[in-house]
Amino acid sequence: MWELIRANKRKSLFLFFVMGICLLVLGFFIGGAYAGDDGGFIGLFVAFGIWILMSMISYFRGDSIILMMSRAKKVSYNVHPQLFNVVEEMKLAANLPVMPDIYIIPEEAPNAFAVGKKPEYCAIAVTAGLLERLNRDELQGVIAHEMSHILNRDVLFMTFSGVLLGSIVFLSHVFLRSMWFSGGGSRFRSKSSKGGGQLQLILIVVALIMAILAPLMARLLYLAISRKREYLADASAVRLTRYPEGLACALEKISLNNYEMKTANKATAALYIANPLKPKGMKLSNLTSTHPPMDERIRILRNISHGANFIDYQNAFTSIKGKQNIIPSSGIRERKKINIRTSTAASTQTKSTKKSTRDLGDLMRAVNKYMFLSCACGLKMKLPPNFKKDKISCPRCGRENHVPIAELAAMSGMIAIDEKNDSIQNNEQVKQDSFVYNRTGKGWETFSCRCGSPKQLSPAFNKASFVCNKCGRKIEIKGP
Amino acid sequence: MDCPVCKNEPMIVLELNEVEIDYCLSCKGIWLDAGELELLLGSSTETVEFLNSFTSDDITKEKTHKCPICNKKMEKILVIGNRKVRIDKCKYNHGIWFDSGELEDILGMRKLDNKNKVLTLLNDMLGKKIKE
Repeated sequence: MWELIRANKRKSLFLFFVMGICLLVLGFFIGGAYAGDDGGFIGLFVAFGIWILMSMISYFRGDSIILMMSRAKKVSYNVHPQLFNVVEEMKLAANLPVMPDIYIIPEEAPNAFAVGKKPEYCAIAVTAGLLERLNRDELQGVIAHEMSHILNRDVLFMTFSGVLLGSIVFLSHVFLRSMWFSGGGSRFRSKSSKGGGQLQLILIVVALIMAILAPLMARLLYLAISRKREYLADASAVRLTRYPEGLACALEKISLNNYEMKTANKATAALYIANPLKPKGMKLSNLTSTHPPMDERIRILRNISHGANFIDYQNAFTSIKGKQNIIPSSGIRERKKINIRTSTAASTQTKSTKKSTRDLGDLMRAVNKYMFLSCACGLKMKLPPNFKKDKISCPRCGRENHVPIAELAAMSGMIAIDEKNDSIQNNEQVKQDSFVYNRTGKGWETFSCRCGSPKQLSPAFNKASFVCNKCGRKIEIKGP
Repeated sequence: MDCPVCKNEPMIVLELNEVEIDYCLSCKGIWLDAGELELLLGSSTETVEFLNSFTSDDITKEKTHKCPICNKKMEKILVIGNRKVRIDKCKYNHGIWFDSGELEDILGMRKLDNKNKVLTLLNDMLGKKIKE
């Protein structure tokens, strides 16, 4: 496994440096085009500066920027117990040192991505649509795929090459625009001496060609790396889950969806498990896509027959795509037989579309810190975080319902403070003072503990009791 | 999501028997998201029929409201049955706003759903007596 990661790193580093040289050469020629002989080195320096600056930003703040851009919200165990369960399972299988942070993106399109510069600090984000559509086995496949990206250091690498690509595109854009508006750079040419003029003319022409070609070159390199990494992550996912059909079904469901992700863009597209942007018009050639074609990925997964190690994936890959090494040689040397497991029985359940639309909506609301109240008459009320009254009279029966409003304020926007105060107070009296909460239905429910801290139960919550993380009271849950 | 009429007044979501509406507690208006109408009426053909029966009303002096989702001005729509009901619809199809009672009026006069199941449920939801 470690050898595999190292081999992967070496190959990627090589491509990474080719892209870097691309950037520096571009900088050199653009500088030359502007200011003659000495300009080349100034341009080189400026290009290098841009590269370093952008890399620094993306290394230290990249994760949070990406998560913010995709509007992912960090969630606690209660919001989706199954997701936490699956992530923990895969964390153990992948031997990850820490539990990744888990984020949910309140969007209907099914998709997922992982961020994190190293396995010690990483996060996995999935959309609400994905959670709603996939069963446990499929979800496990997707999580394993994302986990593999973290393990293989793909995220770090893709971020850096993404930044590099961005720098190249940025530089050539600036150059081409300035050429356009300054009339082919004649302004600069007239300043230099007669002898230098000719040299500069050549530099300008080369710079122009470079400015047009470099972004294309860099993009093709970037995409080639990106596609290869998707296959490798698929292979690792199969190895982790021992169940290729799970990921295959998940990919099938993801590819069948008609929603486009509103929060994804060209810069973040490569991070997702499936291309979040729908191709407009005709199917673009494989060369210009961040992801390998979906049906090919599915076909390879379905072709795996004997076992779930890397050799089995490579064999399946060869039978479909022909001779091409997708797994580094060290992975192929692994001889340990990994048997494919059978599907878990619990994963065969179907819901009506209406029900699943409701569940999806509720999940998105829970992520967005809505409160769920159930009136005794059976009407469910879902209150947004900016609801400011502490009492609500039920529109159906007129009963007054208490809204844990102070607690709601603590939930929206003050999570950081909340976490600080989460240390359990060792008050013996409080510990004995347990109370019973009666559930009114099977859906989402919000109530407050006696100490005032808000508690949200998800439909999947099925324990008989739990301990309040603020005051240490035992809360018993009874009801349907 | 804030009520387009009362502004700064958060709408709450009500759910009963898997039917869901956005509801303003102060003006008692109802907002239906794009997909919500279809779920409410239970079939896409009826919804399409319903939406096609709309005639836009440009001459009215009634105050325009802004779509709570995209914040752009909504257009006025006349639904003509035995009476005329004027509702607000988002031009970008984010949803429809019904002032208090308008949705019930439309459901009542158009007989959109068989046996008025939806109307019964809606009245039940908002604690109104069923009109005979």
